[in-house]
Amino acid sequence: MSSSDVRRGARPSVMPKRSSSGWSLLGSEISVLFRRRRTCAMLAAVALIPILLAVAVRLSSEALAPGEGPPFLDRVTQNGLFVGFTAMVVAIPLFLPLTIGVVAGDTIAGEAGLGTLRYLLVAPAGRVRLLLVKYAGAALFCLVATLTLTVSGAIIGAVLFPVGPVTLLSGDTISVSESLARSLLVASYVTVSLLGLSMIGLFISTLTDVPVGAMAATIVVSVVAQILDVIPQLSWLHPWLFSHYWLGFADLLRQPLDLGSFGQNAILQLCYLAIFGALAYSRFVTKDILS
Amino acid sequence: MTSVTPELTPPAQSLAIESRSLTKRFGRQTAVNGIDLTVPRGSVFGFLGPNGSGKTTTIRMLLALSQATSGTITVLGQSMPAGLHEVLPRVGALVEGPAFYPFLSGAANLRRLDTADRHAPGQTRRARVHLALERVGLTHAADKKVQAYSLGMKQRLGIANALLLPRELLILDEPTNGLDPQGTREVRSLVRSLAAEGTTVFVSSHLLAEVEQMCTHAAVMSAGSIVAQGTLAALRAVGEARIRVRTPDTAGALRVLTHLGLEPTRAPLDDPDPNVVVAPLVGDSWLPEAIVTALVAGGVRIRGFAIEDPSLEERFVALTGEGFDVVQ
Amino acid sequence: MSRKSLKWLPAVVVPAVVVAAVIAVPLAAGAAVDLPDKTAEQVLLLVNDSTVSTFSGTVAQSTDLGLPSLDLGAGMSGAMPKGTSDSGAGMSSADAVSTAIELLSGSHEFRVYVGGESQSRVQIKDRMAERDVVHNGSDVWLYDSSTNAATHLSIPADLLATAQSKAAELDSKLPADLSTPAQVAERFLENLDPSTTVSVGTDTRVAGRSVYQLVLTPKTTDTLVASVSIAVDSETGLPLQVTVEAQGQNAPALMVGFTAIDFAAPNADLFDFVPPATAAVTEQALPTRPDGADSATDSHPGDHSPAAVDSPVVTGTGWSSIVEVPATAVPAELGDNPMLEQLTETVAGGRALTTSLLTVFLAADGRVFAGAVPLAQLQAAAE
Repeated sequence: MSSSDVRRGARPSVMPKRSSSGWSLLGSEISVLFRRRRTCAMLAAVALIPILLAVAVRLSSEALAPGEGPPFLDRVTQNGLFVGFTAMVVAIPLFLPLTIGVVAGDTIAGEAGLGTLRYLLVAPAGRVRLLLVKYAGAALFCLVATLTLTVSGAIIGAVLFPVGPVTLLSGDTISVSESLARSLLVASYVTVSLLGLSMIGLFISTLTDVPVGAMAATIVVSVVAQILDVIPQLSWLHPWLFSHYWLGFADLLRQPLDLGSFGQNAILQLCYLAIFGALAYSRFVTKDILS
Repeated sequence: MTSVTPELTPPAQSLAIESRSLTKRFGRQTAVNGIDLTVPRGSVFGFLGPNGSGKTTTIRMLLALSQATSGTITVLGQSMPAGLHEVLPRVGALVEGPAFYPFLSGAANLRRLDTADRHAPGQTRRARVHLALERVGLTHAADKKVQAYSLGMKQRLGIANALLLPRELLILDEPTNGLDPQGTREVRSLVRSLAAEGTTVFVSSHLLAEVEQMCTHAAVMSAGSIVAQGTLAALRAVGEARIRVRTPDTAGALRVLTHLGLEPTRAPLDDPDPNVVVAPLVGDSWLPEAIVTALVAGGVRIRGFAIEDPSLEERFVALTGEGFDVVQ
Repeated sequence: MSRKSLKWLPAVVVPAVVVAAVIAVPLAAGAAVDLPDKTAEQVLLLVNDSTVSTFSGTVAQSTDLGLPSLDLGAGMSGAMPKGTSDSGAGMSSADAVSTAIELLSGSHEFRVYVGGESQSRVQIKDRMAERDVVHNGSDVWLYDSSTNAATHLSIPADLLATAQSKAAELDSKLPADLSTPAQVAERFLENLDPSTTVSVGTDTRVAGRSVYQLVLTPKTTDTLVASVSIAVDSETGLPLQVTVEAQGQNAPALMVGFTAIDFAAPNADLFDFVPPATAAVTEQALPTRPDGADSATDSHPGDHSPAAVDSPVVTGTGWSSIVEVPATAVPAELGDNPMLEQLTETVAGGRALTTSLLTVFLAADGRVFAGAVPLAQLQAAAE
């Protein structure tokens, strides 16, 4: 009896309160994610998109007619601040989902593939906590990727082209500082847009121990959603596709500022978060870790 | 305080691991078939069995990595997987070989896995990682990326991970895999010193000699079932001792021993000495001195007489129907 | 239930809840509203008494006319060079046709700002682009972000004055028994009566506001129009939505309505449009009407109404009216528009554009017939 009492008394000292270091796994996840060479390479590629666009426009001798090429491209020569917007339009359909697919698809399946998943769970990380931390990492990557693109676009635009007040889609003109604020708003819009896909990727990642498979599946899902979005016969489905509002950030370039699609997009992404979060939870907490 | 919680009942207190009818099926295939493990606290428990006998599957269930199809598990007095958040911080584990992030250094890997345990204090993390690496002799390679590690180094790193915090129970799945003889010896002495500190060590192995040298208790798995379990001494006792008579008069010896009711045979063909007769000593029917007296009386010239204790190897071969890889 | 199946519960429940919410929220928004009963006349009065002069809102327009799918690019690119070369003349009529058809097909979203009688701004939200019409006093600006082109129209002050005086004149000419809005409403309903049943439909919600539904149902069966509903804001009397249902079609053929509305005065800066420095600005005079100054020489022997020469002729009454445009009045470019090829199909006696609401018949001799009637009636009229 006395020995058991001693053990019970001793336990709190062995196990400090849960909250004391509950965040360190998140910190570790973020540092592992962003110190990985693959992540850095993807962010570098994201930063390269506006640079390539700007350099190509700078070097080309013929002026673009309005409406030619990707949206805003013809305005780039007049105002470097449009580089970021054009790059965003170019990157949203494929390149950003591709990087998100790699990061989100790797979350659980990558750990399973390395075998570290079993050590994290035995530590014990807690399955729900691990899922949350992994999702937080993927969501942070979405933000960092879009910010990288925005910042790189602003810098290269300022270097190669004149910078001045920006003409919005409505024909009104806003100051440079306000346009930078809108750029950040666009970046946050795109980040929010990618949150649903990230959760889908997380769910797919819990299904397999092969990270490449989860990455490919996530990217395929994003491509399929965008294909479905242009099939007119499926117009009833369109408002429910997670990719439907991806290019809706144009609404942030209207005057007065239209936050309607930001809200709709956020609600839609929340629906995806809830559904695929629940699926990922159920799948992961019942999963036999055999890797 | 009339109600008695299971935690306070004697068996749960004295057992580090206990499973009842633990079964795991994958589809139609039964990997673990109703095993009852009983691992006493403070023991060094050898979990022996050929590859594919269900050892790792059992360990995965003990650590709540996979869910039992049926049966119950109690680890350190708490039911699993319900109590995993309470139990696992007190358990260090090496499961199915080491696994690490190849792009991180050994020390960074340990820090990463340490953050996963929210009971692990962050302020002592670096010191604890350093200590664990020192304990397995990896201090020199702490800052090397794991992709540059040899299999043996990874194995040591895996053991270091299990030692990041003081543990009540260590579950080591094939801890000496990939280690050179020197490393194997180090692991053995490490296990012994941990056991001396009071840690229960549960070691799985397909190597009989390893278990014989390290363990106080053992269980033998074969095709998903436990075929024998207990202290090493008790396991040996179950086997039959036998007498071994070295004599030029083998025919006479056979005759006398048969007369005594024993079942003597000539030495096995591979025995280097042809002039040997062996006979299992069944129960306490004959005292050895009485047998010698009878042989001498029967005119058998005895050059040597020995009572051989049962070999674990023979015992396990008999139980599992297959041989083990025996290291010398 | 086992622990394991309990853990699968969220995977079933959460999607079910989300789907249920997705279905239920719009239903709740359109849930039956119980407003004090009003007769059709009272609803008309409500509209008439409306004092709303400022508001801003979002308008959604969707059409399901059963039009063939359009290669809009073909029509647009064909029209664009023309539009840019005719500097000063602005949009050619073919251009206008393209734009009209484009706006009529599919769905669009507009933002509308009204800051009093002389200030308004309409923004057509296109994908990654926007078209603006800004009216501020005597200035009207058109801006198209995809081409970065702005067009400025100034409405001469005298024209404004004429319009105002004409309105006043009309007012004074009103019969004495129409001196009150109630009488106007009564007269309006009386006029409608022979052709149309006017009723008040179920109260509902539009743009989050409770509305009366004024439903106009044609009495004749000769028309493609099944009904027209006008949703009238119960508080302000502002019509918030118009829905046109077509015969034999479940989805509304045409629906224009607010999805959000705010009655606060919009920021005055909105109407103060300054074209961007980089935009190509076109000054355009107001198109002057020929006012019959053109010579009208040849008349059509087979014309139903010999009085009309160049101006369109309306035959029939009410919902089944047919408009006939004589060949001479049809712009020549119309035939050149590549979009016309796509839209129309060859029928007996010419080509026809059939939609669920409107039929246009291009007779082989160049005349154009149109009406909210089945094609056979147009063909009959052409003979």
